[in-house]
Amino acid sequence: MISNEMRHDTNAPPILVENLTARLGDTLALNDVSLRLDSARIAVIGSNGSGKSTFARLLGGIARPTAGSIRVHDVDTVKESVALRRLVSIVFSNPDAQIVMPTVAEDVAFSLRGSGATKVEIAERVTAALAAFKLTDLADRSAHELSGGQKQLLALCGALIRRPALLIADEPTAYLDARNSAAVAGHLLHPEAGHQLVLVTHDLELAARCDTALLFDEGRVVAQGGPAEVIEAYRASLRR
Amino acid sequence: MITLYRPGHTWLHRSPAGPKSLGILVVVLAVSLLPTNWWTAGIAAAVTVPGYLASGLGIRELGRQVISIRWIITITLVGQLIFLDIESAVANTSRMSAAVLLAALLVLTTQITDLLDAFERALRPLGRLGLDPARAALMLAVAINTVPVLARLAGTVREAQQARSARSSLFTFVVPFLVVALKHADELGDALTARGIR
Repeated sequence: MISNEMRHDTNAPPILVENLTARLGDTLALNDVSLRLDSARIAVIGSNGSGKSTFARLLGGIARPTAGSIRVHDVDTVKESVALRRLVSIVFSNPDAQIVMPTVAEDVAFSLRGSGATKVEIAERVTAALAAFKLTDLADRSAHELSGGQKQLLALCGALIRRPALLIADEPTAYLDARNSAAVAGHLLHPEAGHQLVLVTHDLELAARCDTALLFDEGRVVAQGGPAEVIEAYRASLRR
Repeated sequence: MITLYRPGHTWLHRSPAGPKSLGILVVVLAVSLLPTNWWTAGIAAAVTVPGYLASGLGIRELGRQVISIRWIITITLVGQLIFLDIESAVANTSRMSAAVLLAALLVLTTQITDLLDAFERALRPLGRLGLDPARAALMLAVAINTVPVLARLAGTVREAQQARSARSSLFTFVVPFLVVALKHADELGDALTARGIR
């Protein structure tokens, strides 16, 4: 696990979502969602098209809401996008699209460009991060030659080296086998991780390991609470 | 999939990216300005071969690079032979090939991060004219790194066509390739935003 010295105010307000609505074309992807999320690890579950990924994109400032607002550690995701970028890292299901630089070490270092860190500091942090993710031996390898699991570990490494206050992971284990899923989950759910985690997943075992869970259905949050009860609510809805 | 940079410890690898880029640019310009005659082909080879030897990459890597641009060489040579005499066609094709191979030598011996930094420094004076050097340098890095990605996407499209026994034609390849390339561009944009690049 990359040590996280939490540069952010831990007393800052949690994630606050107020009357959030998002339209994608003619589809109402999110419908008047209001939430307060202060748990460290939050699972977001629900069927395909229920609004989970749209919620993650809005939370990460990648998409804009049609109405309503989100504040992450007291930063408005629309009005304060520069500040938000310093707070949030995102990992997607497809690691290929997240690789920007040719080699593994360069791709991890790329996350620190413009951070103000010196070359020496960047090199030290990259070395430590690669070691934490057991990618040291692959440092000079072409990032595009890695296996799917290694690429996702690289994407996660690139996201966490920025020491975000909030990590959003949108189905990060979707394309991975059991071994790589376990490795990615280990880093995501590490008890000493210094970041808040919002994990969008179809993997209910992974969701069960979070502190709290949200169930989305047709653009609304229909259940929120302990993972066990929210997962049971989801399973019950599938039986109907 | 190709990795452009080849690790090494030669003086060419150790040279700072900025002066090295400038040096290679000067050599490429000099080769480009040579008179159009048989000597040009020899001089182009005389500049390129020692460059690959000095970099420690050797003749084998040079051969790989020549093979990778074989179609550019062929099309250039055939196109020139239609309109020019054989001496001019060979001279022009030689200097063009030498220019491409020398440019390849730069990225083969320089880490992309160092190239990015050098490019960003070189563009800094243009910041007064409103150009964002960091963004321009990033565009260069993304462009270089997108080449192998597009090659892989093209392979994926061809495999998908074969899996459905679709007859291969330019049209049935180009349209789905464009779709996946644009989807990749979208995802890459999101990924850059996610990593703090605006």
